[in-house]
Amino acid sequence: MFLYYVDLAWRSIKKTPILSLLMVLAISVGIGITITTLNVYNMMAFNPAGERAEQLNTVQLWSQGPDSWADYHSQVTYQDVMNLRKGKVANEQAAMFRSGMAVQTDDPQILPSLNGVRVTDSGFFNLFEVPFIYGNSWDKSVDEQAAFQAVIGKKLNQKLFGGENSVGKTIYLNRKPYQVVGVIDDWHPQPKYYDPTSGAFSKAEQIYIPFSLTASEEFSVWGNMSGWKYERLDDYQDRLGSEKVWIQYWVDLPTAEDRQSYKRYLSQYVEQQKELGRFTDGKSPEESAQLSNVDAWLERNHVVPEDNKILLGLSVLFLSVCLVNILGLMLTKFLKRAPEVGVRRAIGASRSQIFSQYMVEVGVIGLFGGLLGLAWAWGALYGLSARFGVAEGLTHLSLSMWVITPAIAVGTAMLAGLYPAWVVCRTKPSVYLKSQ
Amino acid sequence: MLTMKNINKVFKTDLVETHALRDFNLSVQEGEFVAVTGPSGSGKTTFLNIAGLLEGFTHGDYFLDGVNISNLNDNKAAAIRNEKIGFIFQGFNLIPDLNLAENVEVPLRYRGFSAKERQRRVKEALEKVGLGARMKHLPSQLSGGQQQRVAIARALAGEPRFLLADEPTGNLDSLMARQVMELLEAINKAGTTIIMVTHDPELARRAQRNIQIVDGQVCDFTLYQGGQNHQVDTMEQAAS
Repeated sequence: MFLYYVDLAWRSIKKTPILSLLMVLAISVGIGITITTLNVYNMMAFNPAGERAEQLNTVQLWSQGPDSWADYHSQVTYQDVMNLRKGKVANEQAAMFRSGMAVQTDDPQILPSLNGVRVTDSGFFNLFEVPFIYGNSWDKSVDEQAAFQAVIGKKLNQKLFGGENSVGKTIYLNRKPYQVVGVIDDWHPQPKYYDPTSGAFSKAEQIYIPFSLTASEEFSVWGNMSGWKYERLDDYQDRLGSEKVWIQYWVDLPTAEDRQSYKRYLSQYVEQQKELGRFTDGKSPEESAQLSNVDAWLERNHVVPEDNKILLGLSVLFLSVCLVNILGLMLTKFLKRAPEVGVRRAIGASRSQIFSQYMVEVGVIGLFGGLLGLAWAWGALYGLSARFGVAEGLTHLSLSMWVITPAIAVGTAMLAGLYPAWVVCRTKPSVYLKSQ
Repeated sequence: MLTMKNINKVFKTDLVETHALRDFNLSVQEGEFVAVTGPSGSGKTTFLNIAGLLEGFTHGDYFLDGVNISNLNDNKAAAIRNEKIGFIFQGFNLIPDLNLAENVEVPLRYRGFSAKERQRRVKEALEKVGLGARMKHLPSQLSGGQQQRVAIARALAGEPRFLLADEPTGNLDSLMARQVMELLEAINKAGTTIIMVTHDPELARRAQRNIQIVDGQVCDFTLYQGGQNHQVDTMEQAAS
């Protein structure tokens, strides 16, 4: 009977093309807007760390003094990072910040270009499961004994070396030679959860160099640097010894026990620092340090802005308004066909069969609305991308949306169609048989 | 085959109660051709709707094939309508978007017949009413008489035990009306019980039995046998 109902639905749509088109348009506009905002929301709220989201943690320290920040800062000071790195309590750890440098090779044909550079530890690649196509990360010993080594991205490798295995070759960063030890594949987690402070939906860097070079090379910081008190910084070394926070510090703590143990380690560290005259806000050592897993970290950095949630709510509200309109149109359309229902009821159709017939019709209209809504959503996202330069990661219609959208459209249309179908299936056949 | 005992049907509004049928008694035997006449508003159509399970009633008992169908739920009533009863209406009531074959096929779909069986029955029914060659035509392409024949084919396709016809010739000219009436007589001769509501005394005379309804009650029975009119003395005598 289902195919029979689909056939009847198609005939009915063809019979009242304007009314049907109005319904399809109403659904499609509602669905298009909802899916556009839902897609952006999903992309923002997506946790790219997957199963490792719980075990990857950032460290936050309440290093500020009294009457300053009212919450933990996302980043930590250089001196804290250097101290914590020495402890090596975590399974894996990586300090990092974003910098930028001019890149050159020995090939004079390739013009120098300014690139974002991630200054980090060797643990970065393990922590975030970065895929390599050639070579590997620099050795762990380089995290202690600085060496001019670099890992580059596939795209840059293509540009500088034509895509061939460049391990062992030299690139120049701000005119200093760095030996390429590894080339990573295209890797752009969205959101860029390891450092949302420098653009949660920007692309991953194409160059990675050892954090251990920071003190000697005095890399500029292409990110946020905050301070809670006035400090005179005459040179780079002053910055390294200051209370300025500008570095993210990640640790890998696979089990709950590891996390508890690491928290104890942090408390002990804070206690030591208090003895040295730091961490002066009067909080206990336990209250002065915290770990944030990936979910908490993304929330802390407002990767999904509150406005976006409100917008999502409003779009759902708009969809509801569309559905109420559709309900009215359907009621009009269905009641016009009450005499036909009367005939069908008289010659043997039960109420449930009539109800099913009309629900299938509603479903077919919903499906058309959903498909058109997908086109609207795709167009809207493309428009956002082209007109406002919204990050590409946010304007890509995710694969799941191509399936979810028609399902939502059919589901919501059927919800709106419940009442009209119920009304028409309760048609008293005797009322219409005589009057037809 | 059909027995109604003390059937009452009351339509209520806030202000008035209207008794459409009042202690209505009737028995129809298998194979009969019964004509129901009466003035407008007398309750003929209400009787037909109740007989066809299209409407419920307020009091009384209704037996169809020996089964009391007084308190049937919607699904069971729909199934009985589909299997046992065929309807023919004054306005034909064909579905305009469906062609003749599809119109005739509708009740068979609800009955769950296979495509092959539906096809066979549709062909047979349309051939029986002389429209076998016009299966793909739409109702709007046919004359009134032809449309009524399609409606008869639709009623016959399910091989019902009895046909309920509500002024089947009311919208037809005399020639068409005669053809339709001849068709109904042939169907009745083949064994199908027919109850036909009509205003036309000529047509009523062609039935085996004539029932007149006045003010929701059976008030007169007339038997027509071999063209002879036999007035029955009492209602009890005629109703049995």
